[in-house]
Amino acid sequence: MHLKKTVIIALCVGLVAVGAWELFWRSKGYFPDLDDDKHLWAINRAKVDKATSNDVVLVGSSRILFDIQLKEWKALTGIQPIQLANAGASPLPVFNDIVENSDFNGTVILGVTPPLFFSTTYPQAPPWSRAGSRTKFYHDRTYAQRLNYSLSVPLQNTFALLSDDEEGWYDDINLKALLKTIKMEKRTATPDMPPFYRFQDIDIDRNVRMKQRVVTDTAFAGSIKKVWKFFMLADMPPPDKDGTIVFFLKDLKKFQARGGKVILVRLPSSGFFHDLETNVFSRKDYWDVLVSQAGVPAYHYTDYEPLTGFDTPEWSHLSGPDASVFTERFVNLLLKENVIPNAKTN
Amino acid sequence: MLFNSLSFIVFLVLVLALYYSPIFNWTSKKRMLLLASYVFYGLWNPPLVVLLWISTMVDWTAGQKLAVEENERKRKGWLVLSMVVNLGFLAFFKYRDFLLDNFTSVVNTYGYGYQAQPMDIILPMGISFYTFQTMSYTIDMYKRKIEPARTFLDFALYVTFFPQLVAGPIVRAKDLISQFYEEKKATANQFIWGLFLLTVGLFQKIVLADTLLSTTADDVFGSNKLLHGVDAWVGTLAFSGQIFFDFAGYSTCAIGIALLLGIVLPDNFRYPYAALGFSDLWKRWHISLSSWLRDYLYIPLGGNQFGVARMYAALVITMLLGGLWHGAAWTFVVWGGLHGLYLILERLQRRYLPFQITAANGIFLAFLTFTCVNITWVFFRAREFGTAWNMITSMSFLTSDGEKIIETFDMWKVLTVVTVMFLCHWFMRNTSMKEVSLKTSPWVMGVIWGLLFFLIVIAQGSGEQFIYFQF
Repeated sequence: MHLKKTVIIALCVGLVAVGAWELFWRSKGYFPDLDDDKHLWAINRAKVDKATSNDVVLVGSSRILFDIQLKEWKALTGIQPIQLANAGASPLPVFNDIVENSDFNGTVILGVTPPLFFSTTYPQAPPWSRAGSRTKFYHDRTYAQRLNYSLSVPLQNTFALLSDDEEGWYDDINLKALLKTIKMEKRTATPDMPPFYRFQDIDIDRNVRMKQRVVTDTAFAGSIKKVWKFFMLADMPPPDKDGTIVFFLKDLKKFQARGGKVILVRLPSSGFFHDLETNVFSRKDYWDVLVSQAGVPAYHYTDYEPLTGFDTPEWSHLSGPDASVFTERFVNLLLKENVIPNAKTN
Repeated sequence: MLFNSLSFIVFLVLVLALYYSPIFNWTSKKRMLLLASYVFYGLWNPPLVVLLWISTMVDWTAGQKLAVEENERKRKGWLVLSMVVNLGFLAFFKYRDFLLDNFTSVVNTYGYGYQAQPMDIILPMGISFYTFQTMSYTIDMYKRKIEPARTFLDFALYVTFFPQLVAGPIVRAKDLISQFYEEKKATANQFIWGLFLLTVGLFQKIVLADTLLSTTADDVFGSNKLLHGVDAWVGTLAFSGQIFFDFAGYSTCAIGIALLLGIVLPDNFRYPYAALGFSDLWKRWHISLSSWLRDYLYIPLGGNQFGVARMYAALVITMLLGGLWHGAAWTFVVWGGLHGLYLILERLQRRYLPFQITAANGIFLAFLTFTCVNITWVFFRAREFGTAWNMITSMSFLTSDGEKIIETFDMWKVLTVVTVMFLCHWFMRNTSMKEVSLKTSPWVMGVIWGLLFFLIVIAQGSGEQFIYFQF
């Protein structure tokens, strides 16, 4: 065998195939972007260990991830918040990690999405484990994993073909995800989840912005609504209101004892989610109870005129431009009430 | 550091650049390789490099003493020291909680109500591999089978050589240390073949094991229900393929990487799923471990020198301990025990029901062996006996209401990959990739190689750890 000839042919075939693959997906509208994964979360969690009492950390579920824009916050206060919220997850494991495993004594803005906040304290339950697995990874990650991620960022920012988000989106283009889209005759009794398309972009600071397509393409927005319904109508254990509040208050007390401040926020929702959160997780029985027991500044979007009137195209999150406006209004409100640090006046 | 990671690509490029740099002499290159090997290991968990150093120091000292010591009691003392340190590491880091759990269970059967505190100790990656490798040096020195390593550097590099440090092949001193004595440089053909093997190994791991098979295996073995027979079999076949591609993939990468440096490592797999019986299987599966167990356990236990009963006992003890080597759980012991039983049954068959293996019955025999191997994998993969029992019940089609959890496409995907794997093993059983490549046109080889590279790139993978790292 002529190995030199072989390696040249292999190199040509390999590079042409990879190049063609990259061009094909770009022609389909894909572009280089980062994945929201445990590695990205961990490098942002690491910032908490160096943060001062003037810093702000965002904790919560996907709403605070989409609705609070970091650039706008920084423009108004001179401080860029550290974004540690996790989609589809309870905020409690992350807040617990900050309280137990860091000396941070700044401000935590904690987003309350009732079906997730009040869901569970059981470590194996998905709302908990989705966040808990990330805090665990942060503490367990090896130097090799840190190095791998540093090397992967420039590649993710260069090649559209790299897509391996932990969420496992229907439109991911790695081989496993592509094979998953092949359907044959149904064999199991498990209901098929509707296609869950990626509907946001994320940057290295974990600033998330909804894709404009959700606003302009109602069918696309509809596909996400179907997923929300699929999740929320599935058999789910009953909420554990008392357990979650007790867990949170214990951490809150410890955090306040070392000088930390917590601000609770309830962000906009509409349609199916609004109905669910009104009927099943009524404000009186959940949010009001939490706020009265916590005794910390708390902001429900319906209580403040500047925070109302926003459209949530898929019932749960704000569009990119709306999120910018919402953030400005929310930060101005917090500044007016003097509850967050402001480097611009200090 | 994992072979299937970006940091390893950078690491390997740097090592190769320094290795082939004209500024270093051979001793400096070996020092660089040693340092690189510690970095390779330390990037996972730096403090645990100390264990490697202790193992290296103890066995180097024991080896030096054994080379000159004539007093048999003292010689035995040095051997025992090596055993105590290496097996002590294994006992403490790998088997402590297992031993404690079993001790607690036994004590509590007598009503003591003892509560053990598990220490939740981290298992040092590859500890079973490098301790067995260093012990083989000391045992061979004790038996006067080999010469001592010429320098401490050669010995330290033998213990720590990064391509095979964490998951083998477990290389004997005579096969590796002597390669460090003279300057090594890969020929152009060796270098290209090394790159090809690295590509094949990564393809096996990233595409076949992680992308095509792991999810089905995880779903089936993660279920705590009785499954439909087809689902249980498909899950087991998926694991059967996954563990082969994962482990053989690692070995192929290791052999390829060493070859890039001009170092030749022995084969660790020779198409094991085409084995004709279990003696043949163990000459083809994890060859470096099975030959280690044969030479340092089965033969010292008497082997076949002291009658049939002793031979069967030696066989079973060897396989039970071989099972325990893989993991601190009774399920692994059962896995080893089943293999021991198979080996005994095979010897009985040869004695009382001998038959000629022909081309016609060969593939049937290979398939029968493969089927029996799959049954043992159930105990290897299941973390609890309850899961294993559910799987065996389901695979026996003894339940009429077993749940179907695998979708049609996933079922066909696994069956296709495993069938192709089995047939490849069958057609390759008497040859090697190298021999086949020599008869293949460079165009065909080049296109295949390019496609393997392409599939690795599009599979991407999330840097899944190799299964055997936990052993």
